[in-house]
Amino acid sequence: MEYKFLDNVKYTSTHEWIRVDGDVATLGITDYAQHQLSDVVYVEFPEIATAFDKGADACVIESAKAAADLILPISGEIIEINETLADQPELINSSPFDDGWILKVKILDPSELDELLNIEEYKDLVIKELEK
Amino acid sequence: MDFTPHDNETINSMLEIIGVNSLEELFLDIPEDLIVKDLNLPNGLSEADLYQKLKEISNKNTNYSASFLGAGCYYHYIPAIIDSIISRSEFYTAYTPYQPEASQGMLQAIYEYQTAINRLTGMISNASMYDGSTALSEAALVASIITRKNKILMLKGIHPEYVEVLQTYCWGNDLTLEEVTLDELYKKIDENTAAVLIQSPNFFGDIEDIEEIIKNIREKSSKCLIVQSMTDPTCLGLLKSPGECGIDIFVAEGQSFGINPSFGGPGLGIFAVKEKYFRRIPGRLVGKTMEINGNREGFILTLQAREQHIRREKAISNICTNQALSSFSALLYIVAMGKSGLTEVANQNFQKAHYVKNQIALIEGYEIINKGPIYNEFLIRCPNIDLFLSECKHKGLLPPLKMSKYFPEMKDIALVCVTETNSLKSIENFIEAAKAAKIKGGNKDE
Repeated sequence: MEYKFLDNVKYTSTHEWIRVDGDVATLGITDYAQHQLSDVVYVEFPEIATAFDKGADACVIESAKAAADLILPISGEIIEINETLADQPELINSSPFDDGWILKVKILDPSELDELLNIEEYKDLVIKELEK
Repeated sequence: MDFTPHDNETINSMLEIIGVNSLEELFLDIPEDLIVKDLNLPNGLSEADLYQKLKEISNKNTNYSASFLGAGCYYHYIPAIIDSIISRSEFYTAYTPYQPEASQGMLQAIYEYQTAINRLTGMISNASMYDGSTALSEAALVASIITRKNKILMLKGIHPEYVEVLQTYCWGNDLTLEEVTLDELYKKIDENTAAVLIQSPNFFGDIEDIEEIIKNIREKSSKCLIVQSMTDPTCLGLLKSPGECGIDIFVAEGQSFGINPSFGGPGLGIFAVKEKYFRRIPGRLVGKTMEINGNREGFILTLQAREQHIRREKAISNICTNQALSSFSALLYIVAMGKSGLTEVANQNFQKAHYVKNQIALIEGYEIINKGPIYNEFLIRCPNIDLFLSECKHKGLLPPLKMSKYFPEMKDIALVCVTETNSLKSIENFIEAAKAAKIKGGNKDE
């Protein structure tokens, strides 16, 4: 099974990706994650302006067969949610790194970015999971 | 689905596979002194003798010819067709429909029940909850999940037993629950209020002005959810629907829709929400869909990712069932009555209750407490309440509720309920009982 990976984003061991632009980070779930979930039907967004610590579950992504938490890879304040997902949640499946972005947060502690995985580290993690 | 019992051959082959000699061996871990040897029961009776014995016990019951008791459980006429359909074993013995391919009949029945409630209320209904009290409590929980707030305000007038259940649910979920009058309500609503709970018609019989209350609440809070509860939804044949009024969550005790009062159960928790909240509805939801390899429609449990077998501790509720047979009875009642029947039932309740109220008001010494509109229940202050209740019993009438049972300060007050089942004769007897109690009791002022 071929999964898509991007090399201009960072990853987490819980299958989120994060793209940094100044002090704003865009977040979503990876192609591997959307494949595991299968058809996404609903996203339960947090409230704008809420601040979360790194590791908090900010968002729930509901598919036909599961409800998965989106875990924040860094401490952040929610500044934007992808409202298109309200009518088209399937964008997370068809375009997980692009149109299927989920949240934009203001980065509260930039040093936390160093603890994230790069593309090679994340690929290894996925390969290990598939072998189990 | 057929019942497939174990025969001895099957049992023995299974025992052989697991290497056990007898069924008794499977219980060897139970200490000898804990094994039950004698259940201290009398000898069995033959069917004929048993029938005789049960008849003797049954004859000790008082069989009232009419009822003036409501307070959450109501006598309405139940069309014979309901019993004849729900007694079909396909419905009566059906298990929970997790395997849709083997449960299409039950799933369709639930789907049609949801549709019937939608037609009546203008809101999206689930497959049902246990009863009115737990439905109201789950509504409070849902409101707190949606708003992420912990404060629940309830308008005075909710059934006292529902309040007890609410207190348990709120305690278990760290919600605060406060009872308020209408004036206090408008002062106490703030941005921490998750929900306002209103029973209408309320426990005292009053019909609240729902639209006015909603308007006033919205001036103070745009976010809190407004929940309406009712204990006799036959009033929907007359009153404006909760959907039209702008209610966010509607809950009701559905027993009045074709379910026998029995000994106070089983009940039916009707639960419906405004469309924008349908993804947060607790409990089962049945949907209609198409098969993958073909053109046939089918029914399934849907949006199951809301439920606790998938969401676990994040689920809206831990309920994983519905009152299938009771909801089916309710569906059959609504369909058998139809729009005109439901209107007629509501009208008769309304007219008869008002007739009794007006007649009682004419008897010196009796006072009607309710100032505003009522449906089929109202409060009366009696000159001699105990005498009045016993006069009712002598005439074969199930007497109204003595309010001091729940409200000790309401010493001489009775909650009277009149439904379409009350004949003119029973009403005349009731008025006679009221008059007799007044005469026999004498005049307290003398």
